Amino acid sequence: MKIGILASLLYYKYQSFINNFFYELGCEIISSGETNKRILDDGVKYCVDEACLPIKVFHGHVYSLRKKSDMIFIPRIMRLHKNEFICPKFCGLPEMIKNSIPDLPPMIQDTLYADSKDGLKNWAFSIGEKITNDKIKIENAFSISLKKQIESKKGIKDKNYKINVALAGHPYNIYDDFLNMNVVKKLNRLNVGVMTEEKLNEEYINRQVLKLYKKPFWTFARYTYGFTSYLAENKLVDGIVYISSFACGIDSVVIELIKDRIGSFPFLILKIDEHTGEAGFDTRIEAFADMLERRKAIEDNISASW
Amino acid sequence: MYYLGVDVGSVSTDIVLLDKSFSVVEELYLKTRGKPIQVIQEGFKILKSKYDDKQITAVGVTGSGRNITSFLIGADAVKNEITAHATAALNIDKEVSTIIEIGGQDSKIIILREGIVLDFAMNTVCAAGTGSFLDRQAERLEIPIEEFGDYALKSTSPVRIAGRCAVFAESDMIHKQQLGYKQEDIIRGLCEALVRNYLNNVAKGKEIIQKVFFQGGVAANRGMKAAFESALGFEVYIPPHYNMMGAIGAAILSSETVKKGEVTKFRGFNIAQSNVLQSSFECDGCPNRCEVVTLEENGNTIGCFGDRCGKHSSKMTV
Repeated sequence: MKIGILASLLYYKYQSFINNFFYELGCEIISSGETNKRILDDGVKYCVDEACLPIKVFHGHVYSLRKKSDMIFIPRIMRLHKNEFICPKFCGLPEMIKNSIPDLPPMIQDTLYADSKDGLKNWAFSIGEKITNDKIKIENAFSISLKKQIESKKGIKDKNYKINVALAGHPYNIYDDFLNMNVVKKLNRLNVGVMTEEKLNEEYINRQVLKLYKKPFWTFARYTYGFTSYLAENKLVDGIVYISSFACGIDSVVIELIKDRIGSFPFLILKIDEHTGEAGFDTRIEAFADMLERRKAIEDNISASW
Repeated sequence: MYYLGVDVGSVSTDIVLLDKSFSVVEELYLKTRGKPIQVIQEGFKILKSKYDDKQITAVGVTGSGRNITSFLIGADAVKNEITAHATAALNIDKEVSTIIEIGGQDSKIIILREGIVLDFAMNTVCAAGTGSFLDRQAERLEIPIEEFGDYALKSTSPVRIAGRCAVFAESDMIHKQQLGYKQEDIIRGLCEALVRNYLNNVAKGKEIIQKVFFQGGVAANRGMKAAFESALGFEVYIPPHYNMMGAIGAAILSSETVKKGEVTKFRGFNIAQSNVLQSSFECDGCPNRCEVVTLEENGNTIGCFGDRCGKHSSKMTV
């Protein structure tokens, strides 16, 4: 069976599990591949106008696969951690797709509450049973892919840069190089190293969040808030670069919370939308890198010479 | 011995020549009109009659068109607008603590403390709150943008215009017009809307302390200066070459490269006469379908960019 896997949204976080699970079940995996202009254009064309860019791009990925696979994997992801939710657009994703894109193959859209291992396992079984009757095979596929997911190396932590920034934002904005116009490469080229939230022990993240007057119920919010505020407070990086899709509701709150916490610590917000002209993006990154360099020079007690 | 600075912005292209002590000896303010290359050639034609290539010690470029320009004229310093504007302002006055810069597509706030950029912010992907907002409304009202500020100052009781988005502002403005409000009151309202938008978005959370410099093309608008002053409650200074600050900064930054002992990469004023061709094509090497631009001068390719992978641009040996 050919199964269509969308290299978009939470795939960036859980690709090890997804790919291995379907592979072990004996499926042929058809990936939508990296985002490209075609995918962007189709996504914008088929998606409702109000959605954010990553959701639009997801539509484009689906469109690119619709004639190539027997089934398409679009799970309804409700929850990743206990007592938390993720963005509501994920909960309604199968409906959004069904109502916007014509001529779709059957969809695997099982609802996932991943806050317990049982929940995750039940979900995996209900998917597996659509593909095979062999329970042992499903059991095996589940344990192998879960193991691979846990072992998989995620995140970026550059070494040997004098200036380093925390790169924050939703994983699908950080790792989709087409959407973020290759921001990691651009920063590296300006001699700025990058660190992402996966490289910080989750315990530190959770401890930071305790200082908020109320526990955030968005998973993405907890991660980005805890990650950025911890690095800023302990001066483990020189600045924070936050990639945020235009009109993101969660970001609009988290960014304010972060600003409130870190005070005057250097913070650059890069908004991404359909733009593919890079001039505006480059200006902001270059200016930020310049600023960090000058600030560092002052801190190191070397007089700035301009 | 001159330093040449070029700022290719969305609305205007500014060219300056500075002498050794960074005083402006020549300034050209040209409208870009979407044709950066032709405009630079036009400017160089004017400069060519007065100056010699050998008099140029170093060249700096800035602005959103800085990359294409650096290929065309040969630049020693290619710098972003924030650094360029801050450099130019500090050269005039070391005391400046805040720079409000509003250009055609961008608006910025730069926070300086003791001569270094401590913080900055720019408008996000949306160009509301920038010069193009005023430009558009001026066009609608059929008032030359140069006179816009004077109209605003004539107002006795400004009307409130929604400032969040240029499209919202326009519909609000039309409704107020239809109700019979005076034009100057509407224009003053627009200036106030822009200032409100700037302070609430771009400058949000930033501490604006004196001395404040107001620069960029929009500083020409006296109504905007007045609106800023009434919102902030203190005086806002407009430097003498307010619309040239980016170019001046780029020229000053270029002088640093010469200090390091480098010879200028300047390609000479003669490019004014060259036959420069821009062409673009969609690369079909991969699904990214990059829009690649190539720049040809008298049949020789002098620049190539826009590809993500570097397949085309890396062939260039500039």
